[in-house]
Amino acid sequence: MSVFLQPGFWVFVLALAGIYGIFSLGLQIQYGVGGVMNFGHVGMMAISGYTIAVLVIKYQWSFWWAAFIGVALAALLGALLGLTTLRLSGDYFAIASIAFAEITRYWILNSDSVTGGTQGTLAIPSESGFSSYTTEPDVILTWIQDRLYPLIGDEASRDLAMVLVVWPFLFLFIWISSRLQQTSWARVLRATREDDDVPRSLGKNVFRFRLQTLIIGSVFGGIAGIFWALQFMLLAPEDFLRIVTFYGWMILILAGATRVKGLIFASIFFGFLYGATRFLDFWPLSLLSSPERAYLRVFLIGLVIVLLMLKRPQGFFGKREEMVLE
Amino acid sequence: MTDLIQYLFNGLVAGSIFAIAAVGISLVYSVLRLVNFAAGDFLTLGAFITYYFSVTLELNFVLSILISMLAGMGISWFLELVLWRKLRRNKAGTLALFLVATGVALMLRPVIQYLFGTQVRKFNVDILKTYDFFGARIAHTQLIVLIFATASIITIALFMAKARIGKDMRAYANNPSLAAVSGINVDRVVVATWLISGALGSLAGVFQGLVQGQFNNAMGESLLLSFFAAVVLGTIGDAYGALLGGLLLGLFMELSQLGIFFGGVPSNYKPVVAFAALVLVLLFKPEGIFGYRARKV
Repeated sequence: MSVFLQPGFWVFVLALAGIYGIFSLGLQIQYGVGGVMNFGHVGMMAISGYTIAVLVIKYQWSFWWAAFIGVALAALLGALLGLTTLRLSGDYFAIASIAFAEITRYWILNSDSVTGGTQGTLAIPSESGFSSYTTEPDVILTWIQDRLYPLIGDEASRDLAMVLVVWPFLFLFIWISSRLQQTSWARVLRATREDDDVPRSLGKNVFRFRLQTLIIGSVFGGIAGIFWALQFMLLAPEDFLRIVTFYGWMILILAGATRVKGLIFASIFFGFLYGATRFLDFWPLSLLSSPERAYLRVFLIGLVIVLLMLKRPQGFFGKREEMVLE
Repeated sequence: MTDLIQYLFNGLVAGSIFAIAAVGISLVYSVLRLVNFAAGDFLTLGAFITYYFSVTLELNFVLSILISMLAGMGISWFLELVLWRKLRRNKAGTLALFLVATGVALMLRPVIQYLFGTQVRKFNVDILKTYDFFGARIAHTQLIVLIFATASIITIALFMAKARIGKDMRAYANNPSLAAVSGINVDRVVVATWLISGALGSLAGVFQGLVQGQFNNAMGESLLLSFFAAVVLGTIGDAYGALLGGLLLGLFMELSQLGIFFGGVPSNYKPVVAFAALVLVLLFKPEGIFGYRARKV
């Protein structure tokens, strides 16, 4: 049980929650506002994470420019996905979006010379050796760590610095997202979710509105990818499997499709689930080896999704009529 | 020329497996409006159960396949009783069905891994024996799979056309309320759909395991999108279309490696060919090769 009591565990949970909270916020804007069912969201995270890794490690770009390009590419991927397939109805678009994310992953997997292929970014050599990241963002993380050290001593970990960087962003994005939902833009989108024809008859270009939500959501996915790369520092193609998108969806349906505040609790719950299946080692978890525990995590996430959809499809914080659409 | 025969043959074998898997997915979609994301893991499960009975318990291979098909049917039926029926009563939407199907896949995968391990498995068959056919090398297992898969495809097609329940299924898929008022037992149609889909999933899994020679617990999952591509290619919800879509996709994926197509697609990009085909069909002919423009997609 001791792991529960260690602050380090909870700090890791919070760091993870912040990153996946931002990731899931992208899905929430896409589905909750625009009614777009994006099942390839992980592609946006993969593309920005890899962009920053490759540009910084291989080409010695400044971290900030690389981050900007990474997010821009994620937005571009979202635009490309939308322009080609957003005219399709819900289930067709969902399948197409998975295909997009898988094509991205296969490209990463098979472009060894650029991305390190199956070896991940480990195989991208930099001036200071393998796997080293740029020092620029670490300057910020180290600065925070140094300020905290006199106060709390050894608990001033890199994870804690990460939490202090990510969570303000999460709150900022949540604020932006809830402001967005009060605009006339979101009202039109909500109307298109109910019925395409009414807003269309009022001269609103439904396709363009949906495309905008898809791109905005992709930007959030891209930003989450940047933080992901910062937190884990190494990237490999199997970090961006289809299932990662469903981490985001689990957070989203736990929170309710349009409940921005529920998102915070749901992300922390996800972070806990992820961290617990990784670190906790008391009975009965002690019976499982660590790869088996990774599988337990997958099982539990599947179970949460199934139970939620059966028992409480509106999520813990949602309104029933918002989730049972279509 | 030898290359052409080789790829053509490989394509036929791959395509016949795609066809069997795709028809199950397509039937489930047409009757239940459900995109079955768990279908890939049913393939893996079928292959592993067959492996367990034929290799570990040293039972007859064909008998083991039959047991695995029964197991696939049983699990599908169980899920219908505890999950899908309730979701239908709740009038669950597209997204809910999507997510539950994914949730089922996420739960199945660790269970398979826990029961059967992560090791690479092989069936107890001679995978090295090959025949020479105009210079092309045809594996014994490929030939067996092609013969039995073709027989299965013909059986499925006949079943859909002639059997009472097959006709009921098509009627229900076309117009559920009309079918219900004309005396078709809806629950029976739905259960039959799941049973067929479960059996075909296991069968396709065994065939795929045979053709690959060896397999692990990621086999079905990695093929899922290719199956979707076959389903969409043959018009989503059209059982005969899915059979043909599967065959076409298998041929297309193999033939894309021939030099005359953009200098040949490297074989590690083969899945990408399927994904690209999926996106292209959705873009230019979302109603599939047999669909009508009028159908709203």
